[in-house]
Order: sequence, then structure tokens, then C-alpha cells
Amino acid sequence: MAVNWAERVSVFSSSPSRVLSGTTAEALLAELLRELRDDRASYSVKVLLLSPICEYPTLLCPSESAGEETALELMSVFTQCPPKHVQFRCHLLLALTSVLVCTSCVSNQSRASQDYLDLLLQVAQDTSDLQGDCALRLLRATACDCLRELEACSPGLLSQHLELLAGLRLREGSRLHQAYAGLHTLVLRNAVYQLTQEAGAGAEHLKALLGGNTTVAWEAGQNSGLIKNKDSMHLSSLILGPMHTTPTLQTGPDCKELRSVLSSLLEESYLLTPLCQASLLYRLTEVVAMVPGVPPSVFRAQLLRLLGTSEVSLLHATLLMKCAFTDSLFSAEDEAFILKRLVVLSQHPLLITSEKLFYMDCILHFPENRPISCSDGDESLPVLLTPRLASALLPTVFNDSATMLARLNLLSLVYLEEGEEGEGEESGGLAYLYEHLNSLLNIVEHGASREINVTFFRAAFLFLFYFNHVEHYANNLIEKLCKLYLRHTHLAPQLINLADQTQDKLPESSWAVGLLKALLQAITETSLTQLNLQDLSQHLKMLARMAEEGEIPQHSTLRFLSSVITQSSASLCMNGNWRLGNSLLGICRRLLNHPNLDSLLIPLADILQHLACNYGDTDIQDHARLYYTLLTTLSREKLVSVLAQGLREGGRQVKKRTLSSIMAESEGLTSTLTIHRMDKAVFRLVEAQSELNTETHATKDTDQNETVDGPDAALTAYRAQFEDPCFASDITLNYQLTHLTTSDSRFDQLFSIRLHITLTDDHYEELSDISVPCLFRERPTPKVRLRLKPRRPYPTVLQASAIFTSQDGLSWLTVLPDIHVSFQQVFKPPPVPSTWGRSDKLSLFEGLWDEVNSQTGEKDLVDCATSLFCCQLKEDALAALVEKHFLPFLLSDPADKEEFKVLFFLPPHSHVLLKIKSEEDAVHFNITTDSWQLLPHISSYLLTITTSQDVQE
Amino acid sequence: MSVRALWIISHAKGENVSIRFSRRFAAVEHRAKCLAGPSYVAVPEDNTVLQLLLTELGLSDSDKPYVAVRDDCYNRQRSPALELRMDSPEKGILWPVLAISQGPLILACLSLVDAPPEPRPPLSSLLSVSQGLTLLAGLQTFLLSAGVKTDNEGLASRLAMLPSVLLQICPLGTPLDVPLLGAPATPAALAPAGNQKQPAWKMGLHRGRAVVNVALVETVRSMQYGNRSRQDLWDVFGTVTCKCEVEGVLPNVTVTLTLPPNGSPLQDILVHPCVTSLDSSILTSCSVDNYDGSAFSGPYKFPFSPPLEPFRLCSYTSQVPVPPILGLYQLKEEENHLRVSVTLKLHESVKNSFDYCEAHLPFFNRDQMGLVDMKVSSGQLDVSKEKNLLVWGLGQKFPKSREVTMEGKITFSGPTPGPTDPLCIGLTAYVKLYFKVPDMTLSGCCVDQHSVQVYSSAKPRITTSRELVSKEYFLWNSTGTAPVSSGQMML
Repeated sequence: MAVNWAERVSVFSSSPSRVLSGTTAEALLAELLRELRDDRASYSVKVLLLSPICEYPTLLCPSESAGEETALELMSVFTQCPPKHVQFRCHLLLALTSVLVCTSCVSNQSRASQDYLDLLLQVAQDTSDLQGDCALRLLRATACDCLRELEACSPGLLSQHLELLAGLRLREGSRLHQAYAGLHTLVLRNAVYQLTQEAGAGAEHLKALLGGNTTVAWEAGQNSGLIKNKDSMHLSSLILGPMHTTPTLQTGPDCKELRSVLSSLLEESYLLTPLCQASLLYRLTEVVAMVPGVPPSVFRAQLLRLLGTSEVSLLHATLLMKCAFTDSLFSAEDEAFILKRLVVLSQHPLLITSEKLFYMDCILHFPENRPISCSDGDESLPVLLTPRLASALLPTVFNDSATMLARLNLLSLVYLEEGEEGEGEESGGLAYLYEHLNSLLNIVEHGASREINVTFFRAAFLFLFYFNHVEHYANNLIEKLCKLYLRHTHLAPQLINLADQTQDKLPESSWAVGLLKALLQAITETSLTQLNLQDLSQHLKMLARMAEEGEIPQHSTLRFLSSVITQSSASLCMNGNWRLGNSLLGICRRLLNHPNLDSLLIPLADILQHLACNYGDTDIQDHARLYYTLLTTLSREKLVSVLAQGLREGGRQVKKRTLSSIMAESEGLTSTLTIHRMDKAVFRLVEAQSELNTETHATKDTDQNETVDGPDAALTAYRAQFEDPCFASDITLNYQLTHLTTSDSRFDQLFSIRLHITLTDDHYEELSDISVPCLFRERPTPKVRLRLKPRRPYPTVLQASAIFTSQDGLSWLTVLPDIHVSFQQVFKPPPVPSTWGRSDKLSLFEGLWDEVNSQTGEKDLVDCATSLFCCQLKEDALAALVEKHFLPFLLSDPADKEEFKVLFFLPPHSHVLLKIKSEEDAVHFNITTDSWQLLPHISSYLLTITTSQDVQE
Repeated sequence: MSVRALWIISHAKGENVSIRFSRRFAAVEHRAKCLAGPSYVAVPEDNTVLQLLLTELGLSDSDKPYVAVRDDCYNRQRSPALELRMDSPEKGILWPVLAISQGPLILACLSLVDAPPEPRPPLSSLLSVSQGLTLLAGLQTFLLSAGVKTDNEGLASRLAMLPSVLLQICPLGTPLDVPLLGAPATPAALAPAGNQKQPAWKMGLHRGRAVVNVALVETVRSMQYGNRSRQDLWDVFGTVTCKCEVEGVLPNVTVTLTLPPNGSPLQDILVHPCVTSLDSSILTSCSVDNYDGSAFSGPYKFPFSPPLEPFRLCSYTSQVPVPPILGLYQLKEEENHLRVSVTLKLHESVKNSFDYCEAHLPFFNRDQMGLVDMKVSSGQLDVSKEKNLLVWGLGQKFPKSREVTMEGKITFSGPTPGPTDPLCIGLTAYVKLYFKVPDMTLSGCCVDQHSVQVYSSAKPRITTSRELVSKEYFLWNSTGTAPVSSGQMML
């Protein structure tokens, strides 16, 4: 059967969940492994097959044991693969590394990971490729990288091999020395780190470690070097700026051995690719930072070369070195030079934008020799960055938007300091920045692209963020924005967003209110005759936002509204545009809540009355009438409290919420009418104890009766039942709906829960929704029965979502954790007539068994299959297993320990028959089924239950 | 120092977006999980990543004028690293996602944060960021080097090579190198049994005649306003590209750049990592610094050991006293036409011998050109097919006077509107010059053939060349408002 693996693998890589919804991870993994062992498959396909294992090892091997087994499989594939398939063998090593690391086999030092480590060390030392093909060397390089990754994930793993690795590196003359060097430095760094964590470790330990004498290096009792920290500190970088302390190893000044290792590594660093060089320098920086006995000057010989480099990673490594060693390696002149260099690089014509942005970021987090503030993580300017120096980075309209914003941000910081130092707000720099903002505004004014519009508003926000206190610029900007808005009313959402964000991020500033006030004036002064519908709807959006500001007097708003509905065009009212009406009402509703409502009363009432009488849409009329009534009949206090109820998050009683929702046209009503999406699940379905056991026990009593004669008759009678297509065609799964432990008190009491179950494959019929009246955290959990109607009785995953109402009357949509229906959940005892006893059932068993096994049956037997599953089980273990898993399906006498006969019925009409017998060497599970497609599921089921039995023993 | 995942996306102006290649590095992901602890955010499936990335880059929903998550003015779109904010159910922020885009390609990767996750560490403390950027840039060059950018087949064949390329340069998520351009050189002879180790960046060894080629290209940019209130700007940067075929594992080559007497010093020198040592005086001169008359002015020696492929040995900037071509552009609105006048003057220090020299006069935000009534004192004038651009070809030489003029009027009466531009509104307009002058540099910098030293047994063949090319060479209409191109000059 030709399977298009290339396509399957690419579908899996882009969306594993989609693939796994149609099959199990286990089955897919088994399939992949089988194909990998298949001699007929080409090696290029086999390389493809490894990519799911490389990329998603935890999906395919969910447990450590699964990882362990997969790794053993892959290792045997590796040993059997002819050496010439280098690419495939390399990818095999990568897959093995991924599997063993991700399933925690490495950190738990499992058997397979030990074997794998030995294999890697062996490959890494195997220099037989020297004479052979150059391509073969790739395998050695890959092995080194795998070792490096293992060491990176489990620091200390290779510290016993430090001397070996040092030797390999020194001896290697080909390009591969780079791989050894990377590995060696990482192991060295981790080993030194390990020593710093040991009390009393000192110079001798370090010496012993470098000499490969691990028994001395590690104190008794700690035979393996693996760092056992549970926290992640040991994986973390050690160079984190002035606020962090680096663990140190006190060695005294004499660290000859370490020094000689360091200088040898540094000497050859030039031979590495820039990326590897940067990593090497970084790791060595960490080592030297941990061992105060070695002066940072070991790096000095490399510095000039590094400072002149065009490679971003090398210069970055140098900056990190500066962060670690400050003035013990870098003089004040060096510091000034580096900073100037960063400024140059931030605008260098030969660099790509991301690199320039990165260098600007480095300026804002410059590792100063003597930092004044210890602000960790925040952007701050280095003292040496003078306005003169920074002026090279002034933003211009020719910059791309990210560069422009980055420059604006940096220069704003520069002039902010300058302004604060008393040179006055009139500094030329600030004037330039404002002029620049104006140029952008001019571009927007002439109708620019969306991207430029967005950039302008971001720039405006940045400018305000730093300079909102500089009044004449801030005011001038308001003026300009008003003009801009009148020309381009479609910018309303951007202006509202700008007002929102400045109000939110700059709570002390009143700029946003100022802007809104000015816009209000601008809007209300426009001539209505020139107003088109589009502009009007944008204006109304703006007015609604302004109406939320208690500080803004709203008389002009009302005048404007009144003239819109009365004068501008009667047609507007008559048209009865619902959206427009709703926008009008939205403003009115906000005004009802306005602190100066008293002075607005009459004009507002007039407007509402006019709408109620004349607007061309009934819904709008009704709402206007309601508002009018509220306004004219309720006292101010009541009105406020009614409206406030609508606005407040979660009123006390559900009824209040609904009432006030009607008032709160735009927010309240929409929030009650909308179904809110939930970020995380609140409850889930937990599988309840099956009722099968009790059922079988109940039928025990009728064991003695015999109602049919012989297997054939039993089979016929049994089959006859299935003429009704609905007969025994479904399974019922019992679940309990329970809260998840995360406590959000809003969701302690839930009502009207409607569960919607979605299938992820077509093995089952669609399910109808299920209603649960309520779910309270403190009360017993409600039961939920899922009636699944299989088309094919395979394991599946169900996706569940629920809509419910919370206590405050809001509706929510939440996604429940997926429900996994396992294969054994589909099992049912055979649906025999209730009058049948055990012997009848046994007859049925024999009948089915014989039919499948005799090839002469009249029925079409193409789907039938037999199989044998063997495993090692002691007699009592077998009995326990039968008792635990098969009791409801056991047809033979439980007392009969010779042979167990088990019959699973899988709706709609599949059967699996087991005859279980202890033979001398193993327990044999003879399997017979009338649906061969079930065989992989059966064997994986049997494998699971028999191996878990092993574990129990 | 590693990346958790890598994506390569192709798109045509935001349309037809698809992930062409993705790779997750499971072991690095495992480390990310351990490092981040409870704040760990898993990488979602490709489609989700794609959607989030496009939103963050402002490319999603291109038909909608305003989308809050995309266009919020608080978004910090100024960092080289993006944040991908995930919606329910797996709320969280993926950071730092590095992305670079060019032409039809977006390349993105998620760097490992090997520092305590809270508070968020600065980007500059993560070596994985600069490494990720280098990897992405390397991959981009590799993918787009296949030929024409729109050549889909070339791209596809490069993409198909990626798995085996990544096996060599980034097998497990830790970038080791950038891809080699072109077909992998036939792995030449193996390392000889000497003591010298072979550099990891050198694929093989050269056998045969030694050839060294050093090419110096200077690029001049300029913004000229023809206006007393505004200072004209120009700058020059040079790059030295070498191709060295020299025997030996680690052969020594030295290239020396020299300046004429009184030449202004080379600044902002950046060197290729194969340069073995540098004199500190070479690095001292810097364009953002006060000019120091006593600065070192050469000779600039660059000893290095060359890789096999061509490489950029070094780059520099220089401050030259005059621009090579001084121009004046005047545009006047008259009744129903524009009066155009352009004067170009070639500076006497510049060799009057061009590979090409063209002046382009584009017209934006107007209708197509109707009547073009122009006179040029030299060269040839063409109207582009789209009728929105005048191309003035000046040929290989300026006339003896070293000055050329163009004079005339244009009406814009074409049936369809021409292209738009956000900057060039009204009388804001420019002339853009394209030229190339062989065998000269503005800074006077040169590589003497005899100054190239190659320490090898065979006598090498050495060739050197130099040339001057223009880039972004603008003459703004002096009667209109022109955009500011450098803040430095304004202060």
C-alpha cells in the first residue's frame, strides 16, 4: 500500500492535532517505526519519517516509557543502517536526542539514554572517516552536536568526560574541531558551575576535574556529575547584569590548568564560524566570571578583532563580556568607543533593519562600567550618550516605520534628560522631534497608506508619552489633530484609540480630555449642509467617546444632535437607519449618566422625544421613549443607580442585570446579549465509574437456565436481534461535570449549561447537545451521560464546549478539555436476550468463534481475522488481570482458571473474542474478531493492560 | 543561544500567505519549558503562529482600515523582537519572535530566553537574539540568491534543500553557521597532515594557481536642496570585496588601503571575521565623533586568511568635501503646465567617464504627462511608457564645460492618474541620479596591486579594481518644500 508519506508528514508538521484526531499517537508512531524498519522504503523517505519524531517527540511518546521504547527501536535501526546513508543516520541521531531529552529519559538517566550516550561518544571518537568520504564526517559532527544538546539540557551529564573531549578537540585537524570546541566549552562551563555549587570546592577540585580525575573532583556519594537542581537556574545564563550575582569558585590566583585550557580555546577561536565563536566566547566569559582566580584579561588579545567586527553576534558577545567584566577588562576609552560604535551601527547603510534595531536596543541597555541606576530591564540611556552623539539617530520621514519609532523613542529619552537638566523646553532637539511629527502628520493629511497612518499615531503616542507636559507642543498637536480629523473622519478609531491610550498610560495628564474637547468643538462647529452620512457616523462615534468624559460640558453635543435630527435632513430621521439611530441613542445614554445631567435635562429630553416620535425605526423609537421616560420620571439618584447597575461589572442579582441592560443600550445590552468568550476552562467532564460491573453481577443469578440449543441456534437467535438497526447500536458513557480547581468566584454558581460535543473524526454519529440545569461548586456534581453511536468502534477524541450563564447574568462560551474515549470504553457485554444464562452465552461464543475460524461459513468473512498475543504473566497475575479488566465480558466460569473466554461486543456490530490460556512459556491471548481493522487497537489495549500489570508486580 | 522554532513564510503583498517551511527544535523547547517554569508558553500550531505574526507585522486583514489588535498605537513595533499575543485558550505571550522580511519572504524564529523569565530580560542580554538574526539573514540570502525574487521555482528548489542545509548549520536549534551560497563547493582535498587546523569556515582547500581579486566599490548618497536655508548632504561608504584562491590551510594575505595625501581618514571601519588582527588606530576614526585632525589616515593594513568564497573584507565611510555631481532642480507651476529646469554640474575632481549616467524625474499625484516640451543641452530624453517619468540619459561623458541643463514645460493632461506617493505632493519633487564611474573613488582610497601581499610559494595573479556608484542620489525641487533627510544637519 503506497502511502504518500511526504504529504502526511507535512500535514502532521503543520497541524499535529488534525492528524491525531484521526488516529492515535501510538498508532502513528508504530506506523512510522515500522516504515523505518522496512527495507523497501527509500532512505530519503525515511529521513522524512523522522521529522515528526524530531519535532513532536512528546506528542508521539507521551510517557518516559514510551520514549525509552522508541529510543531503543531507533537505536536498533541505527545499528542496522549501512554506514553510507549518512544523512539518514544523522537524522536518526537528532530524533533520538529529541525523544530522550523530551521524555526526561536523559535527566532520569534511563537505560536507553545511557546506551545512547555511549553510542554518541563512540561515534564522536571514531575517526575512521579520516580516510573515507568527507560526507561521513557529518555523522561525527552531528554526534558532537547531539552530545552538546544533551549536556545543555542536563548540565553536568558529560563532566566525567571533560578530559576526553579536550583531547579530541586538540587532536582534530579538520573542520570538525569546531564541533569539539563547542562541546568542550559547554561541558567545561557546566562542570565549573557545578563546582561553585559545592561547598568547599576549590583549586584542587578544579585541577582534578580538568585532569579527568573525577573521583577527586566530585565528593563521595555524588558518583555522577549530573546537576540535580530542580529549579531552572542551572540552565540559565550567568551574565545577567549588575543586579545579579554570579556564583563563584574560590581557587586562589593559581589556576594554571584552567588558564591553559582557556588560552588554547581562545587562540583557536579565530578558526570557528562567527556564530560558534560568539557562543564559545560567551561560555568562556561565564567560566571566567565564575572563577575570580583567572583575570578577565585572558580575553584581551581577542578584543580588537572583536570590536572591529561586522558580525552582529561577535559584537554582541563582546558586549556581554563587557557586562560581565566591566572595568576590569574595558577601560573608559573602550567604553566610549563601543558606544560610538553602536551609534554608527544603528544607522549603518550596509546593515539590515533588524540588526540596526537590535543595536539601538543595545544602546538603551548599554552595559556601563559604572551604572548609576540599577534599573533592571528598563530602557535607560548610558551617561556617555550625549545629544550630539545621539543626533546621528534623529528620525526622518525616510526611515521605515520600525526604525523611525525606535529612533523617536531613543531621541525622546535623550531630550527628556536634556530638558530636565534645565536647558529649557525650547531645546532644538525637542523642536526637531515635534517638527518631525508634523512632517508625518502632513503625509497623513495628504492621504497616506494605512501603514503610514498607524505609524503616525504610534509616533504621536510616543511623543506624548515623553512630552505631554510640554504644553505648547501638546496643545499644538491637539489643534493639528482636529484639523486632520475634519479632513479625514475615517481616522476616528485611531483618534479614539490615541485618547484611550494616553488617558490609560498617562493618568496624570489631561491631554486626552483636551483632545476630546477640541474635537468636540471642531465637530459641533461643522456645517451640517456638507455633512455626508459617513462623516456623520464617524462624528457620532467620537461624540459617544466624548460623552463619557464628565469634565467635558456637553451642551454643544446636544445642540449638534438636535440639529442633526431636526434640521439637517428630515430624510435622515425618516430613513430610519438603525445603526445611525443606535449611535444617536448611544450618545444619549451616556449623557444620562453625565454628572452635569441637570443642566442638560431639557435639550436631552427634547432630542429623545423627537426621536421617539419621528425616527423611522420602531426599535429606536421604543428605546428613545424608554430613555425619555427614565429621564423625566426618575430622580437623579435613581437614574444614576439604575444606569450604574448596568455599567458595573456583575450586579448582585440576575434580575437587576437584565433590567439595567435595557437601559444601557450599548454596553449593558450588548454584554448581556453577547456571549463572552472564556479564556480558560472552568469545568470539565470527568469519567464516572462504569456501571457495567454491577450489571454483570446482577445477571449472575440466572446462570443455570439454558434456553437455546447449541452454538448455531444461539448465533441465529442472537443475530435475529440485529434486524432492528437501532438494536444495541450505542454506548453510554457516564461523566460528571466538575469545576476545575482554579477558583474564580464569579463562576462558582453556573446556570443553564448547554454542552455541545463536536466530533474530531467520522467514526461516530453526531451528538445532540446536552443540558445541565446548574453547577454549584459546593454541591454534588451533576451526572452527564454521553450516548455515542459508533459507525466504527474506534477510540476517539471529542471536543466539548459549553454555553452557560454566570451568576451575574452574563452568558459565556467556554471550551472544555478534550474528552478522550479510549478503546475499552467502547466495549459492551454481548447484548443477549435477558433470559439467557451463562451456557447460552458460551454457546454464542463458540458459535462466533467457529464461524470466524472455519473458512466455510456462508457469511462474507472478508473482515474476519484471528491473531495471537503473548505475554509473560504468572498465573495469579493473569487471574487478577482478568478480574480487573475482563470481568463484565467474561463468559466462561470465573472459577475456571484453565481457559478464560472473553467476548467484547463493540457497537454497532463488531465482536472481539478472546481465549486466554497459560501455556508453558507464556500466556496466549487467542484473538478472533469479525472486524480486522480492530486488531491494532486490540493489541495496543492488551499491551497496555498487561504491561501495567507488570509494573504492579 | 538557541532558537525554539523557525518559520519561512511566503506572501505576495499580504495575499496568498502560506508557511513554506517550519521547524521546531524539541530539545530546545524542553529547555524553554524548564527555564520558564510556570510562565512557559508553548508554541502553537503553524496556522496560529502565522495569523499572530501577520497581525503583529500589520499585514493581516488588509481590507479593514482599523483593527484594534493590529493598529493599537501602544504596540511597540520598534523592537527587532515581536510579541505574539495568543488568545484563548492558551493565553500567553510568545517572545522574542525575530522576523525579517524581504520581497515575498518573511523569515521568523523564536529565540530561547536563557534567563529568569520575570521580569522580562532585555533583548540585549540574550545572545540567542543576535544569533537568531544572523541565522535568519543567512537563510534569507540563501533563499533569495536563487535568482529573480519572483522566481518561484528557484525558491522552491532552495526550500527543498533546507532540511539538509539545516542539518549542517542548525541541527538541533543552536545555529552553528549560515548556509553557503551557491552549490556546495566540491569538498576538495582533505586537511593535510600538518599541525595547522583547518578553519571551520573553510570548506576545502584550493589547488592550483593563486589568484587574488580585490574590488573596491564606493557608494555615494546625496540629498541636495538647492536652497540656502538647508544644507545639502552627501555621504560615501566603501566596501572592499575579495576573492582569493590561494593554496594552504591558513594562507596569509594582506590588503592595504591607502589614501592620497590630505585625504580625510576612513571612518567606521568594519571588518570580516577572517581578519586576523587589527591595529587599534584603524578603528579610532568614527563618523559620529568630532573630527579629529590628528586622526590616523593610513595606510590601512588588513591581514587575513581568506575563505574560499568571495567575501566582504571590510567597509568604511568617508567624509568627502564635495558631492560628485551638484544639481539644481526647479519646478514652477504655471497656468496649466509645469516649468522644469534642471542643471547638473560634474565636479572637476571626478573623472569624466561614466559607465552610465541617468537622471530620472518622476511625477507623482498627478495625471499622466501630456505634452512634454523639453530641451536638453546634452544627452537624450525619454518619456517612460507609463507617462509619469522622464529619463534623461547623459551617456558616458559630460560635455567639456562639465555642465548640462534641461529646460522646458510639461502638461499633465493624460487620461489616467499617475502613481501616488505620500511625500511628493504639490511642488515637492525630486530628480534621482543613477551613475557609475569606473576606476575612481571619491575618498581617493585605493588598493594598490603591489600592496597586496600573499605569503605563498607560487607567485599569485593579483587584480584590483575600484569604482564609484550612486545610490539614493536626490536633487529636491528648490522651489518646493523638501523633506528633512537628516536631523543632524538641522540642529
